[in-house]
Amino acid sequence: MLKFRATKQQLIASVLIAVLAVAMIGVGLYGLSARSSQSGLKLLEDMRLQAILNTAGVGAVEAYVDAERQAATQAVREAGGGMAEIREASAKAAEEAAARAEEMGIGAVDLSEIDTTPLGEALNELAAAQQAYYAEEAAAQALYIEEHADEAAQAAVDEAAADGPADAEGGEEMEMDLAEETVDLSGFVATEEMNRLSAVVDEAYLALCEEIKLVFTALDDEVLASLKPTITGIVAQQGDTFEMQYDRAFQASGMNPGLTGSIMRQGRTLAISGVGLLVLAAAVLFYIPLVDKMGVPRLIIGLFFVLLCLLAMILGLSLPTQLSNTLVRLGMNGVLVLAMLPGIQCGISLNLGLPIGIIGGLIGGLLCIEFEMSGWLGFAFAIAVGLLISSVTGLLYGMLLNRLKGDEMSVTTYVGYSVVSLMCIAWLVLPFTSLVMKWPLGNGLRTTIGLQSSYRHLLNDFLSFKVMGVTIPTGLLLFFALCCYLMWLFMRSKTGIAMSAAGANPRFAAATGINVDRMRIIGTMLSTMLAAVGIIVYGQSYGFMQLYQAPRQMGFLAASAILIGGATTSRARISHVIIGTFLFQGVLTLGMPVANALVPQSTISETLRILISNGIILYALTKSGGATRG
Amino acid sequence: MAAEYVLEMKDITKKYGENTVLSGVSLKIRPGEIHALLGENGAGKSTLMNVLFGMPVIHATGGFGGEILLDGQATTIASPHDAMIKGIGMVHQEFMLLPGFTITENIKLNREITKPSLLSRVFGKSLETLDMPAMARDARKALDSVGMTIDEYTLVAGLPVGYMQFVEIAREIDKTGIRLLVFDEPTAVLTESEAAQLLQVMKGIAAKGIAIIFITHRLDEVIAAADGVTILRDGQLVAETRTKDTNVTQLAEMMIGRKGESAFVTTEKRTLDENAPVALKVRHLAVDMPGEVVRDVSFDVREGEIFGIGGLAGQGKVGIPNGIMGIYEAAGEVELFGKPSALNHAHAALESGMAMVSEDRRGVGLLLDESIEDNIVFNAMQIRNDYTKNILGAKLKDTKAIRRHANEMIKELDIRCFGAMQHTGTLSGGNQQKVCIARALTMKPRLLFVSEPTRGIDIGAKKLVLETLVRLNREMGMTVVMVSSELMELRSVCDRIAIVAEGEVVDVLPVDASDADFGLAMSGIKPGQEGGGKHA
Repeated sequence: MLKFRATKQQLIASVLIAVLAVAMIGVGLYGLSARSSQSGLKLLEDMRLQAILNTAGVGAVEAYVDAERQAATQAVREAGGGMAEIREASAKAAEEAAARAEEMGIGAVDLSEIDTTPLGEALNELAAAQQAYYAEEAAAQALYIEEHADEAAQAAVDEAAADGPADAEGGEEMEMDLAEETVDLSGFVATEEMNRLSAVVDEAYLALCEEIKLVFTALDDEVLASLKPTITGIVAQQGDTFEMQYDRAFQASGMNPGLTGSIMRQGRTLAISGVGLLVLAAAVLFYIPLVDKMGVPRLIIGLFFVLLCLLAMILGLSLPTQLSNTLVRLGMNGVLVLAMLPGIQCGISLNLGLPIGIIGGLIGGLLCIEFEMSGWLGFAFAIAVGLLISSVTGLLYGMLLNRLKGDEMSVTTYVGYSVVSLMCIAWLVLPFTSLVMKWPLGNGLRTTIGLQSSYRHLLNDFLSFKVMGVTIPTGLLLFFALCCYLMWLFMRSKTGIAMSAAGANPRFAAATGINVDRMRIIGTMLSTMLAAVGIIVYGQSYGFMQLYQAPRQMGFLAASAILIGGATTSRARISHVIIGTFLFQGVLTLGMPVANALVPQSTISETLRILISNGIILYALTKSGGATRG
Repeated sequence: MAAEYVLEMKDITKKYGENTVLSGVSLKIRPGEIHALLGENGAGKSTLMNVLFGMPVIHATGGFGGEILLDGQATTIASPHDAMIKGIGMVHQEFMLLPGFTITENIKLNREITKPSLLSRVFGKSLETLDMPAMARDARKALDSVGMTIDEYTLVAGLPVGYMQFVEIAREIDKTGIRLLVFDEPTAVLTESEAAQLLQVMKGIAAKGIAIIFITHRLDEVIAAADGVTILRDGQLVAETRTKDTNVTQLAEMMIGRKGESAFVTTEKRTLDENAPVALKVRHLAVDMPGEVVRDVSFDVREGEIFGIGGLAGQGKVGIPNGIMGIYEAAGEVELFGKPSALNHAHAALESGMAMVSEDRRGVGLLLDESIEDNIVFNAMQIRNDYTKNILGAKLKDTKAIRRHANEMIKELDIRCFGAMQHTGTLSGGNQQKVCIARALTMKPRLLFVSEPTRGIDIGAKKLVLETLVRLNREMGMTVVMVSSELMELRSVCDRIAIVAEGEVVDVLPVDASDADFGLAMSGIKPGQEGGGKHA
């Protein structure tokens, strides 16, 4: 029901942007199509050829100079000169030889002057051979990584354990990147097929050398063999894109590729930017209804998400991988965000005391490891224990909140903080015995505990499949959907409706004979229990359980996610949970690699995360006017 | 004092948008006169005083017509502060005192007597020290003039209510150049002896040449203390007279009067069976509702009757249904159709077959962020488990049945909306009221309370709401108890009307009782015992 409304200025601006966008897309598409056209291929080929000839030319000059110098040195030595003389003569000879080489044009060659056809053919053959080899290598390595993933996980755990003490003291915990495990490739052995392809490459290179020798007579096999890495490096590399090849060839050749070449090079960027501008034009055109429908922050975050997607494409980051990560993070954070819903609906506003429930879930997970359970049984056991503990703590927490009506937001924040700190002591003194969890020396639990022995990636891998390069974590999403469905049913039940009424208008509810305090306790308990389930799901997806300070920020992250989804501090729906988690996690997942690609070696992505999550909470608070409701 | 009148307000007219709240009202006060200003709620008393004090609300809504003369000189009063400078003071109904300060400090607040100090010589006048003895002397004088012997250094916190009222008056008297004092219902919170003392003080102040405007609804006090009376009704001047030329009954008549009939339904007269069984029996009900305290109320409602409860605002009539329905804390005995009904238990009250349309529509009556249909069936779902279906032991809402019922109700009550899914917060007042009624009806109640059913809704909607109530009563035999501040409304639909004043039922009157009877009852005087006012 988007009702179209726009001012004249909007209309003009959006038309201008759209025209620009269409122009950019047009030019970009032309550039892209030129890549595979005759002239495009020719341009790249020429550049590559020139680059190789330049390299070979330099080699030829060096070889010539070297030979001259050798000769000069030899002559002086035979004449019985001392070291100083030899050096002098050598330098002089080199200088003269270089000047002569320049004069004779040994190292320089003009493409238009020689017949490049056989050279080009040899080069193309080499390129094809190399590409075939790298494709095979990439496939073989991927296979290897898959086979050795578990080892890597183990290594990561060990590493985390080693980092542990620093983390525990280090106050603010940085959120670890999801793709944290890198397989050590040192044990990788080339396959048969690779060896065969490698031989083909060598052959092609020799063929090329023959052609080069025709151009530069000064070159001999020895020099050419030493030039091999440079030349093959220019021709092709593993995971090459058109842009990378182009840039390499462009740099090494020093050729001016002209406007067409530039358009070809920037084609993708232009086309993607054009698409981005189109989105922007649409946003400008439909600004009023969009803001009505979604509100300013959701619009901004949504556009930001689109921007990040486009940037990721421009920067050549693998979008499917990022989308897979986003889906995983949607599933792993979804239940935690869902835990905000009953809290908001029952009138305690944002339940920033989420760590209370999270700790229940963590204890469930710890007991699961302690009793050496694994698989679905372990997972179910962890959830059962988590629910049990969090229902008790949730009840007490709810009773506390009923005594402190009106200031829930600050109360929940500080209750969350204190519980996390209290548990920091508890983790040290609880009598767990499993070696997986304990520090190797002394007492207490590790900060990060690996779950591969229990239920790591249980849901993630359940029925998961790949579509267009995007891995769908079916089990995880199904579990999240199940939680949402159960919550949806509850919100439609008599109790759920009474609870929502108690939150929306306590006086109305009381006038209907609803026990408002009881409803608030139910909502708080539900929120706490969902947090327990949420952290178990989070842990199984993440692969680790994080103790000590880690749960402290989770309430805020969940709160900002649901607020981005469109909830207010007094009203929320399940759609807010899903949209909010997707947008929030999407921005974070994409934001990190994009920010790192734009500003390498920076912590800008971490800054971004803190900025977004805290900023959105602040925005929501200004909208809700503090803690007023109803 | 050259002029005959200290204050003359000539032909004052004030409109809020299209709504005329004052038209051609004049007020003349002589020096040293106590002049009573009488009128029902909404008669225009407050607006007139707002005009006199130059309140921002008046200027913000387009000013007023007419002129104000002080001592015969035409003048404009720009703001309350300006009014104070011109010698007009106000004794507020709610005390504007600082509890943590002494009486002296309160009396001299913002008018402190100061003497220079070392600091003030360097940094200017605002740092001068207070001259406490001089201030205390002034305060003592003011307190003496209102007949208070209390020490002037006592803290205000903890003073009895009556004392605070006198401190407030003392503060006004202490202002130099005060010529005119407005007392806004000063006796409302006082005990009988305090009230008598206050009247004495007022007379003493008047004797010093200060004129007093005395706003009240206690007619006997008017006769006892005032020299002149101005009566307003519906924003118009009804009469201006000397108290010695009139009596309580006449005043009551003038205050109530007959209003235009156009907006109201007229029902055919019917005689009710005197022996009809009692539907609701209330004995010694006390309700603790802020602003509407019920002290001791007893009455019977017969089956099939429309029973009205009237009275002025803040006298406790609204507290009665709220107490019986368990919304505010209550004590006493209530019997419904012969069975005792538990108090302080909203669930039980609803279950026993009573339903209520609250006066606080947006606060208590509706979930503004929910749809019309969800609002309509809310109570029935929660109390009677209607419109739910059982799935695996959980009671889920039956969307189809709800939609069907809501659509029926929308048609039946003519709720103007885009559909049953529209949020009630976006409806007009009249349509919101209809949703509230629909919700009450969905409970299939045997006894329906409607509290201020026409407050804040336009005339057309008023008529529809009242007609609906009559129809429910006549066609479905529902017993209705209607609470309203608008006497005319009650008289047009009710069978009998109980008038409540100061938390007690003064009398239960037939609809055709005289205006004077209603007027007297509203000011707490039971007809027949004229002169002997009863003030608890």
